[in-house]
Amino acid sequence: MFKYTVKRLAQSLITVLAVVTIVFLLMRMLPSDYYFTEDQVIKLTEEQKNAQLEAAGLLDPVPVQLVRYYKGLVKLDFGTSRRIQSGMPVMKIMASKFTVSMRLGLTAVGISLVLGVTLGVLQARHKDGLLDGVGTVYTVFVNAVPALVSYSLILFFGSRALGLPSMYNTRNPGQSSILPIACLCLASIAHYALWIRRYMVDELNKDYIKLARIKGLSNREIMVRHVLKNAMVPMVQYIPASLLMTVGGSLLVERFFSVPGMGPLMTDAINRYDTNVVQACVFVYASLGIMGVFLGDVLMSIIDPRIRLTGKEEVR
Amino acid sequence: MSNPDMNLQEEKNLDELFHFVDYSAENAERSGYSNYSYWRSVFQNFLKKKSAVVMTFVFLAVVIFSFIALHIGKYQYTELKVDNSLAFIGSFDSEFWFGTDNLGRDFWCQVWYAAQTSIRLALIVALGECIIGVVIGCLWGYVRWLDRPLTELYNIINNVPTVIYMTLVALIVGQSFTTMAVAMIATGWLIMARNVRNLVLMYRDREYNLASRCLGTPVWRVLTKNIFPYLVSVVILRLALSIPATIGMESTLSYLGLGLPLDQPSLGILLRNARNYFVNYPHLLIWPALIVSLITITFYLVGNAFSDAADPRNHV
Repeated sequence: MFKYTVKRLAQSLITVLAVVTIVFLLMRMLPSDYYFTEDQVIKLTEEQKNAQLEAAGLLDPVPVQLVRYYKGLVKLDFGTSRRIQSGMPVMKIMASKFTVSMRLGLTAVGISLVLGVTLGVLQARHKDGLLDGVGTVYTVFVNAVPALVSYSLILFFGSRALGLPSMYNTRNPGQSSILPIACLCLASIAHYALWIRRYMVDELNKDYIKLARIKGLSNREIMVRHVLKNAMVPMVQYIPASLLMTVGGSLLVERFFSVPGMGPLMTDAINRYDTNVVQACVFVYASLGIMGVFLGDVLMSIIDPRIRLTGKEEVR
Repeated sequence: MSNPDMNLQEEKNLDELFHFVDYSAENAERSGYSNYSYWRSVFQNFLKKKSAVVMTFVFLAVVIFSFIALHIGKYQYTELKVDNSLAFIGSFDSEFWFGTDNLGRDFWCQVWYAAQTSIRLALIVALGECIIGVVIGCLWGYVRWLDRPLTELYNIINNVPTVIYMTLVALIVGQSFTTMAVAMIATGWLIMARNVRNLVLMYRDREYNLASRCLGTPVWRVLTKNIFPYLVSVVILRLALSIPATIGMESTLSYLGLGLPLDQPSLGILLRNARNYFVNYPHLLIWPALIVSLITITFYLVGNAFSDAADPRNHV
């Protein structure tokens, strides 16, 4: 197990490094004029521009910059922002943003786990019944209709019928986070319900359930002690990833409701060529994604003793 | 006392029913014939699902009507003029059938034009993903030494958030329909390739393929004749599911300003323009939402029905 963990971590590290390096090189492909605002491009002389670029270390050859970047990475120092908030350390900017995203995200994950699993269990319990039908229509709707359309519908009905604020308000986050959270929950409830239902129906058709019925276990006991427990195993794998990803926030939801979170930060940074912020964001996203998958596998092997990770690895 | 008569009759009947067959060389050589045809069974199974058939017709009707609608509309998209005095006319106006947007432009032709753009983009992307995905997936699964590098490539591409990548593409190459289509194909093939690869791995070493290889069947023939039929249902399902996914992705990206250029109306751009108005002027939300949801839900359901029908295990 220990050997496996080390090997897996080393592999993850290489993947993160590769991703970060690719993005670093892509960002260096942009012309240097992009590093200035339009005013600056017109007003500043070539020498002034060069002096600024020199100070930011952007004129050094790319390999030198890359090595400097790796050195910073080890100390988790991503330098300072150039354009988003000039002179501010990147870590500070991110710290103020990700708390907002995380608060919304964790609430949404909590709500959707409870509702999604409940819905899925009820659907499996009353398979082919009315509730199952309603649940299926819901999952089809969420999966098929573009997120932007369903968010717009939520916004429309939320603000029309319920009178909820249509924009996130930093001073009064309570009420104005209801609609963003509802949007975040919409898809994940459907996701959890769909998979729980599928795994539970698969479990219900197995022989040991027949045995359990014959030996006289009540339906409730079969559902809770056998079916749900087994159906949760594949679900558990995704929970760490979805918890970790709340740090990153959701780009569309946060942009849609003007939430000052992590989601829009990266696109803003890319649009304003704030290379340091972009690289920090990419690093955070890539490492969170990979950590999530890794922790999911570990958690799954802890919960289900039948799964041993040291066996042959497969792409999932 | 009628027994002897009965016996006599029965004997007579038996003589009629059973008689010796002469040896015939022609009959001995005749082989069995089944008029089973894969594609006919697929269509027979598909036609049994009434809802899917109806949905197919609805989809075709929407596509055909989008062309008619642009012709019968009173305005051409290219000739739209900004006229603030005409802003926010509601739907079912005699002049503007879907009303007008915030700049007083006819909404009818914008919505139908957007629907066409979305369908065209989705079909191109789905087809491109399918071709690249199947080819790479087959190689990935079949050629052993390619497994490792392609798996690593998959991990790396899969970990770069799509948004970064699309932002960089938008910045470096610029925004256009072709760029968008190519960029979406360039990441979209991953899922298809992984699915195909897993299936190819399952079937490549079955006995019938081993036998086929021993008989000297060339690799491409093993892939196309022995393995591909098993992939059809998965490929069709992914193809059908990638259409709603592409439409959703397009709307998200265009909403964020990373997708299609602003002068090419698409669902995302219509909703982006309407974001601040549709709470008060619902027709700006309802028409695009209705038409696009119709298209995506249709594809979702038809795709699922067709892939069930295409699975040879469901054939009689």
